Amino acid sequence: MARAVGRRRPSGAPGHRRQGRAAYVFLSPWLLGLALVTAVPLGASLYLAFTDYNILSTPRFTGFANFERMLGDDRFWAAASVTARYVFISVPLQLAFALLLAVVLDRGLRGLAFYRGAFYLPSLLGASVAVAILWREAFGHNGLVNSVLGWVGIEGQSWLQNPATALSTLIVLNVWTFGSPMVIFLAGLRQVPEELYEAARVDGASWYRRFRHITVPMLTPIIFFNLILQTIGAFQTFTQAHIISGGTGGPVDSTLFYTLYVYQQGFKSFDMGYASALAWVLLLVIGGVTALHFFLSKYWVFYGDD
Amino acid sequence: MGNLDRRTFLAAAGLGTLGATGLLSACGTGGGSGTTIRYAWWGNNVRQQRYTEALEEFQRDNPEITVQPEFAEYTAFQERMTTQMAARDVPEIFWIASPQVMTYEKNGLYRSLSDIPTLDLSDFSDADIESFSLNGEFVSMPHGVFVPVVRYNETFLEEDGIELPGEDWTWDDLSEFLIDYSAENSAGRRAASYNPDQDMAFEAWLRQRGQDLWTAEGAMGFDSEALAEWFEWWRVLMDAGALLTLSEQEGMQPDWAAVGGDILLNFGSSNHIIDDAAMYPENRFRLRSAPVASDAADGHKFLYYPRLAVYQGIDDADVEAAGRLIDFNVNNADFLRTVGLTMGAPPNPRLLTEAYDFASDDEIEMLAVVEADREFDQRPRHEAPPGTNTWREALSRVSEGVALGETGVSEAADALIAEIQTGIDREA
Repeated sequence: MARAVGRRRPSGAPGHRRQGRAAYVFLSPWLLGLALVTAVPLGASLYLAFTDYNILSTPRFTGFANFERMLGDDRFWAAASVTARYVFISVPLQLAFALLLAVVLDRGLRGLAFYRGAFYLPSLLGASVAVAILWREAFGHNGLVNSVLGWVGIEGQSWLQNPATALSTLIVLNVWTFGSPMVIFLAGLRQVPEELYEAARVDGASWYRRFRHITVPMLTPIIFFNLILQTIGAFQTFTQAHIISGGTGGPVDSTLFYTLYVYQQGFKSFDMGYASALAWVLLLVIGGVTALHFFLSKYWVFYGDD
Repeated sequence: MGNLDRRTFLAAAGLGTLGATGLLSACGTGGGSGTTIRYAWWGNNVRQQRYTEALEEFQRDNPEITVQPEFAEYTAFQERMTTQMAARDVPEIFWIASPQVMTYEKNGLYRSLSDIPTLDLSDFSDADIESFSLNGEFVSMPHGVFVPVVRYNETFLEEDGIELPGEDWTWDDLSEFLIDYSAENSAGRRAASYNPDQDMAFEAWLRQRGQDLWTAEGAMGFDSEALAEWFEWWRVLMDAGALLTLSEQEGMQPDWAAVGGDILLNFGSSNHIIDDAAMYPENRFRLRSAPVASDAADGHKFLYYPRLAVYQGIDDADVEAAGRLIDFNVNNADFLRTVGLTMGAPPNPRLLTEAYDFASDDEIEMLAVVEADREFDQRPRHEAPPGTNTWREALSRVSEGVALGETGVSEAADALIAEIQTGIDREA
């Protein structure tokens, strides 16, 4: 320890500065990427949000016109409604399912590694084109779901072409990709001190009471972490809706996710100014919801050092 | 990390930069001293392979010209074009998706074709060139001709022992036939798919009523009443069980490979028979011109031209090479023989005659129906104005609402017209 301290150079020493420069050089690809691929486009889109820009001609400054337009845009409200329903239904369902499975798997099943991998697989594939196509086929008129229903005498319909059920199938798809939060929950469960459970058992606490009063409170930081991640991800859902609805958000806008609408405005209608304004509204909403989560977390998230 | 001195680091960085520069240089030049022309088109795998082959033939005949093919599926093609336009990196020659023709024109994306010496226009009459022009300028070249048709499965008709109404059929005749067929055919087939968003059939419907899809001034040429009647014509068929439901056809864009064996006929463009018939080789498909209203307006027949253009930002030194490639595309029978007729009948009248020599049965069916429609006097047709890029998607969406009973036909017609008008006003 004494040797290590003795070897430490003062922060302004030439060797330290040289290492600092080398570190920045190695960081430079990421820094360049941040600047060129993220920061500059972000700034540009903020500017474009206040313009009328059709890609082919010079942007024309229009002040807040794009934001005012949203207020009277029925499809904007349809997209906001679809996305809000999706976020507020699919995220809690997904987290509940992930937590349930994590608790079951944490009970020392044989072949745990296999189950963990098997359950995690859909998360890896969840946002992919392949899984979206698989979903489209499974829930189609002649798909797997209707075939199974047919075995019990129920004549199905295309779940994706009925406005009443189309969004639900996408919610089910999102819930199915519970593997990622489940793995994080599993890691969190391993951190819960065993002596708490032992003490509860000695006091005669049932499984439910142990879960309710030990597992859940001890996992609240993990639940909070998963909630933030999954909420942000759900707001940005695009691929599944694009593939399953053929990019239309149909039937009759029932799967018109917000990002899909942004995409339609930008890349199909060439209304890039409006699309930029829409994107910034989404960013602000995600920021607001995340801030709200953080604010509310002090009432329900339990950290060990509290 | 601690062992990395400045000299070693700079040497490594220098070598890395040198290597990367060399690599990028090698990628960029292509190694030749001639002209490179990027040619962008869309389609399916078969078209991609055939056009690639034709472009290779062109390069063999013109070794000083390198053609860089840029192919994509139709939707992806348009999205890529959007990105390329934003980056001012548009291919020298590109096909134009129909909703974008006038949007691109308004924004000066096209270079004039009238002064390219290597593009031979001697096969075309002045009237042809006039009809190809946009706002009086010859800036895009048709590379095909489509007409609206009804395509029917002749094998099914023969199996069912049923005949279509006569060649002079009206919309009412067709409607009655479709309802009767669905009710009576022995195989339990539906007569057709739900397809009111088929733009060419809709345009035929409008022109027979003396209206147009678009006017020369860049406005909508139809009214809410005509549109509502169109929706009503389809709604009656849907209610009578003559059409596939949206559930059965999996949405507004039914996959022909999935539904083609379940229906007797459908509306479409004349060229689609070539790819679509190939999916059901055991069946014989035939084409008919769209029905004609008994009081149809004069000159209602029309030809639709898919177009290609030269990018206005092309280097002057590359213009003649681009002209030569377009010339090969629109004037050369060898080109047609290689690519086939999936993009419709050739607009070049000489090639239209020659094409019969090598056309397949399905292609001959298509050539004949186009040739028949060409014989009619036709009043001018105008392309979709700027701001209407997504009018077909909007038509599809409101049609979907009608089929699902979410919207009445008049309400749907008013909503569509308002949406299209908003787009036009915004661009004005």
